[in-house]
Amino acid sequence: MTALVALACASAENATDRSTEFRVALLTPGPVSDQSWNSAAYSGLERIRDTLGAEISHIQTRTPAEFEENFRQYGAKGYALVIGHGFEYQDAAQRVAPEYPKTTYVTTGGTGVGPNIAALSFAFNEPSYLAGMAAAAVSKTGILGTIGGTALPPVAASFTAFEAGARAVRPDIKVLGAFIGNWDDAGAGKEQALAQIARRADVIFQNADAAGLGVFQAVRESKGVWVIGANADQNALAPSVTLGSVVIDLPLAFALVAQEVRSGTFAPRVVRFDTATGVVRWVPNPGIAVISASMLARLDSTRILFAEHRFLLPPGMMP
Amino acid sequence: MMELLLVPFMEAAVRTATPLAFAALGELVAERSGVINLGLEGAIIAGCLGALVAAGLGGPLLGFVGGLAAGAGITAVFAYFVISLRTDQILAGTAVTMLGLGLTGAIYRGLYGSGGAGLVLSTIAPIAIPGLSAIPLVGPALFRQTVPTYALYLMVPLIAWWLRNTHAGLALRATGEHHEAAEAAGIAPRRVRWGALLFAGALGGLCGATLVLAQVGTFSEGMSAGRGFIAIAIVVLGRWSAFGTALAALGFGAAFALQYLFQALGWSLPYQLFIALPYVLTLALLALLRGRATAPAGLGS
Repeated sequence: MTALVALACASAENATDRSTEFRVALLTPGPVSDQSWNSAAYSGLERIRDTLGAEISHIQTRTPAEFEENFRQYGAKGYALVIGHGFEYQDAAQRVAPEYPKTTYVTTGGTGVGPNIAALSFAFNEPSYLAGMAAAAVSKTGILGTIGGTALPPVAASFTAFEAGARAVRPDIKVLGAFIGNWDDAGAGKEQALAQIARRADVIFQNADAAGLGVFQAVRESKGVWVIGANADQNALAPSVTLGSVVIDLPLAFALVAQEVRSGTFAPRVVRFDTATGVVRWVPNPGIAVISASMLARLDSTRILFAEHRFLLPPGMMP
Repeated sequence: MMELLLVPFMEAAVRTATPLAFAALGELVAERSGVINLGLEGAIIAGCLGALVAAGLGGPLLGFVGGLAAGAGITAVFAYFVISLRTDQILAGTAVTMLGLGLTGAIYRGLYGSGGAGLVLSTIAPIAIPGLSAIPLVGPALFRQTVPTYALYLMVPLIAWWLRNTHAGLALRATGEHHEAAEAAGIAPRRVRWGALLFAGALGGLCGATLVLAQVGTFSEGMSAGRGFIAIAIVVLGRWSAFGTALAALGFGAAFALQYLFQALGWSLPYQLFIALPYVLTLALLALLRGRATAPAGLGS
């Protein structure tokens, strides 16, 4: 018993010693080795450490109960900024944040805002629309595929925008949509891609994190099929068959927000990152040249329309 | 038209069934010795990582050896707890699965950096068996597959024969039915169970190695994705026989392949319906087979 009290005192002392440090925590829904959504977030956390001298902590959480428990843990430890990396962390942030007013809770995706809650909103649909245009331009069969992990609203909205972009280039295009049901099963990701390829899909836009690695493998093994990466720049994963990637520059977004939190100027709000901010963008694979010059020009003029807010996607394509 | 739909579907069914069948055959042997191995999921993910690391060092053949060894290694921990320390099998198995899932992630990041290296191996190519693979419909599905699938074709009758006709197979079954009686008959149940579990672990590792080396070509954390638990259900559906288990694994492979096909047909139905399909089929089959189960009498003791 005495030992326990001593231990408790020791850790309390520790906490006061560290209260001047800027500490930032990241909760991810999947492994940070997924080369996609989660690994990009971890790079963002590392950028906060390197540019702001922050002490960082990361934990992988699966269930809403774990989201809440870890939000609470970091709040109790006095972290300045806690990032829940996904739309799915919103409810937990709403429940926990009022208990720890000194901690700023940020969810990547979503719209929930409170006195110490903010949401990062990415216009991922805009570069997804460009990806759809590019996909329709290179497709020979006129059939495209989309493969997601689960139908989270931002993912579903991105696929809808992808289809709209494709249809803008080629009105008769057909898009086969599929979801794996999780974000881990790379084997299922591969089989789902092979099933679409057998139905003659020749460009597949995947947004399935670690499970998406299986989609890349399926495309690598097939002839005349392209894959489009998501979240991180995945062009190097399969350089000869990747058309491009729909990228969210999470390190840039995280560093901007953390800088504001550190300097005390952060106002809780929905921080919107659209094409104009450069945080979301369509990154064509520089190693391949299958998109015609006229199509490249059309893609660029559409990008400028997005950046100048002269072309807005309808609500069904908004996250 | 029909062939365009059916051939890819049947190929996918056999491909998906192959790793499941390895894991389930291992579980079958463990359960016939009286041990329910919930650590199987841990053995599969250990096999995935073991195969990746070993294949990176010395090619696919060493990769399979690495997968087998990693699966057997982590299952040895399970065996030590349940046989030597007599810990509860369900608890120890769950702990080993958690250990496997956590440890492989930590090791992977330790070896290849926190973001992972996007390590890609070229997968082993399918080999078409001349003549047989030309049979309409079933030919490509059964005889245009990778080496692990052909190894499976040999393994299933071999395990069935071994269980029924050898002294060691009899000792295994006796241990699973009533280990005190087996001991009285001069069998060493602990040694039998150690052997059975190491074999089960190695086959769990082979499941993981097949996923990595013959299918996905890379490792991702948690890529076992519940296959260990599906394999345990397959053994029940297969009614604890080798051929039954292989058949049930093929049934599961077909259900998953059907799910992929349905989604690829582009029907506008909620995708959750398709994803639930294999599990709904399992429940339906379990209900049909109700009361006809022939579990080893000493299972779990």
